[in-house]
Amino acid sequence: MEFSTPTYAGTHLMVIQRGVWGLLLWPYILTVSMPLDCKEEPGSLTRCPSISQEKLLDRVIHHAELIYRVSEESCSLFEEMFIPLPLRLQSNQAGFACITKTLPIPSSKSEIEQMSDKWLLHSVLMLVQSWIEPLVYLQTTLDHYDHAPEMLVNKTKWVSEKLVSLEQGVVALIKKMLDEGTFTTTYNEQGLFQYDTLPDMLESVMRDYTLLSCFKKDAHKMETFLKLLKCRQADKYNCA
Amino acid sequence: MMTKVREVLLLLLLPAFVPHTDGTRYSLPGKPTEIKCRSPEKETFTCWWKPGSDGGLPTTYALYYRKEGSNVVHECPDYHTAGKNSCFFNKNDTVIWVSYNITVVATNALGKTYSDPVDIDVVYIVKPHPPEKLEVTVMKDQGWPFLRVSWEPPRKADTRSGWITLIYELRVKLEEEESEWENHVAGQQKMFNIFSLRSGGTYLIQVRCKPDHGFWSEWSSTSYVKVPEYLHREKSVWILILVFSAFILLILIWLIHMNSHSLKHCMLPPVPGPKIKGFDKQLLKSGKSDEVFSALVVSDFPPTTSNYEDLLVEYLEVYVPEQQELMVDEGKDHDGCLKSIGSASDSDSGRGSCDSDNLLMDKSGAAKEEQQQQNQEGDQIGTETQGPKEAWEKETMLCANEDVVSPDASSKKVKTWPSVFSPVTPYSLSPLDPHNSLEMHKQNCLSDTQFPPGSPSSDHCIKKALQSSYWEVCFNNNQPYPQTDVHQQLQAHSDRNISAINDGNAPRNLLLPTRMTEYVEVQRVNEENKVLLHPIPSGHTREEACSWVGHGDNYSKVKGVNSDNVLLLQREVVEEESMEMAGAAESCYTSSIAINTPKSTTCSHIALPVQEERVLAVSGYVDTATMFSLDT
Repeated sequence: MEFSTPTYAGTHLMVIQRGVWGLLLWPYILTVSMPLDCKEEPGSLTRCPSISQEKLLDRVIHHAELIYRVSEESCSLFEEMFIPLPLRLQSNQAGFACITKTLPIPSSKSEIEQMSDKWLLHSVLMLVQSWIEPLVYLQTTLDHYDHAPEMLVNKTKWVSEKLVSLEQGVVALIKKMLDEGTFTTTYNEQGLFQYDTLPDMLESVMRDYTLLSCFKKDAHKMETFLKLLKCRQADKYNCA
Repeated sequence: MMTKVREVLLLLLLPAFVPHTDGTRYSLPGKPTEIKCRSPEKETFTCWWKPGSDGGLPTTYALYYRKEGSNVVHECPDYHTAGKNSCFFNKNDTVIWVSYNITVVATNALGKTYSDPVDIDVVYIVKPHPPEKLEVTVMKDQGWPFLRVSWEPPRKADTRSGWITLIYELRVKLEEEESEWENHVAGQQKMFNIFSLRSGGTYLIQVRCKPDHGFWSEWSSTSYVKVPEYLHREKSVWILILVFSAFILLILIWLIHMNSHSLKHCMLPPVPGPKIKGFDKQLLKSGKSDEVFSALVVSDFPPTTSNYEDLLVEYLEVYVPEQQELMVDEGKDHDGCLKSIGSASDSDSGRGSCDSDNLLMDKSGAAKEEQQQQNQEGDQIGTETQGPKEAWEKETMLCANEDVVSPDASSKKVKTWPSVFSPVTPYSLSPLDPHNSLEMHKQNCLSDTQFPPGSPSSDHCIKKALQSSYWEVCFNNNQPYPQTDVHQQLQAHSDRNISAINDGNAPRNLLLPTRMTEYVEVQRVNEENKVLLHPIPSGHTREEACSWVGHGDNYSKVKGVNSDNVLLLQREVVEEESMEMAGAAESCYTSSIAINTPKSTTCSHIALPVQEERVLAVSGYVDTATMFSLDT
């Protein structure tokens, strides 16, 4: 699987990445009904349509890292362009809370370390699924901006697409690690995100800014959880 | 008084109203600024602030924070752990992915001053401690040393659980003044190898780390390591190559040396040397040109064969100045042919035909006169060579060369033709002094072999000789006889110094006596520039011939030329005699040299007149040129 750099540009690249990601995860979707009795052999996708857990986890982690980096860049761009200096870093001042605030995700290390693998994975899945929709919305709102930079729009688009891929990976990982069945509950059913057009321009901007900041934070969460998960595995991982 | 009190009051109150800068003024504390928070391991964090002015009063600082989504204000739990003006949040107080809104308040007696609030999220302010336990060891890889650097992550960073992932970077520098740091990114590994070390150098190494999203740590403490001396394998290879190439070079040099000779021939072809018979390089090198030429003359040079025909190519055109006759006269002391000059009867008898007025280059007046006299006399045989010759010359210039100046007795100019002929020398008559003769000599370079006076016997008539061009030699005659005249006659083409002419006997000698009764062949020229003659065996006795000559017969008339290219002379006085002039010299009168000159045309032209002229029968001096012209 190839990860393009955050500064990629061009839809064809995205398509390729999507395709690659899809190719990678396709077997997992297939394996939902198939027993996972195949050992991973490099370059033998046709014969054995599954991937090893370690590699899958690694790839998921890379994906999460990439998403975080791109979201960080997008947030900085947005901040430079649209947020006046005094209002920066004070996202919560505007009163907009992160949409995922309600999710039962611990925020201290001690708590997090006490989380089980299952819970970690599910948390990640929750996060991923929560953000798919808002990011789509963000794309549409950015189009309304007068001078939204091309890069920002592209990044946002890319991130939203990658998030979908990440979701698929996490699902596969859950199946692999937790041996759970089709457990594809979408947490987004709750409709965490209600988007209604705000009359005030500034407020609209602030909301978008809050959106981006929160997403950045959650991306970091995802990455952290996955890395924790990784190092919890046996010594085959080179942690510490 | 009231005014005074007021003044005092004013004065007292003044300080209160008038601000002054002596620090005693109290004011609100300055605003704390530059609030910076850092977390070393994403579990705790510390905030520092920079206090403002304290306003002159004791000021306290307090930090208050508010978490995101909550309006509860908390105060900093720990002001001391992290030092002054800091606030330390321990693990329990630290939540990640939550924004802290931090404000620092400075308080003094007068009031409080709030700093600007700052939002931080612990996740984004991670700056770890530098890595620890930096170790550097020198290891060897097949003889090549390299450094192995290893370290540990900072103690507090929890990389084992994956809570924090660090990437490392190290830098290396030589312990020299002008060297610079060389950075290497080590990724997440805790070990690194450094290659391409300088033998015997000391290196400084430092390492630092950074979380995947955060700030770089400070550089760790420096480790020093010294690389041992080692001989580069490259060096040994180079030494081998050097030795090998030196060896090959030696072989090449030896080869070239062995074949130097042939190589020299190849590259520098030898210059062809002169291929002149009798030419002696050594003599030339020694620098004595005279000797060289004499050496040339030595062998069969001039060819002493009687094949004069072959030799004689051209002839000289000579003016027969009267002086010649005179000179001849004077030279006529000897008996015999040579004495023709010496015959008392005529002044010009001394001048033998051999001498040939031809060569007379003397322009001295005396010589001229003499010649003229002789000329006048003309008929005398002995001198006649001159006389007739002179006349002959006058009338016809020798083989006619247009260029030839009309015989001008006075001119005495003799033109020399390429092939020599007779050099009649300027008879340096007695009056002649060497200088004249010299001049004469110089004027015309006549070489004539004929007259080399070197002949041992003065009686001999010298046969004329050869004309080869080599004969452009003026011989220096030391012998009394042949001497000077001869040498006067003969003139070196190359402007030889003519030794002093023996004036005394000069005139006489002559080889070229007009009345030569004998034929003499020029044998060679000896080193003294003497022309050595030897008599040619002839049918007639010398005496006879010579005496014959002395008779005063006039053989100046040419009767004709026979088929053998022989000039037939007529003896006017006595009888008609046809003298044959054979190349071989049967009689001393005849010197037949068959000259087939290219100038035949002119000669033929002259042919007629020649006949009328008196031609010297004497071999000594017949101007063969004219004679031959008859032939052609």
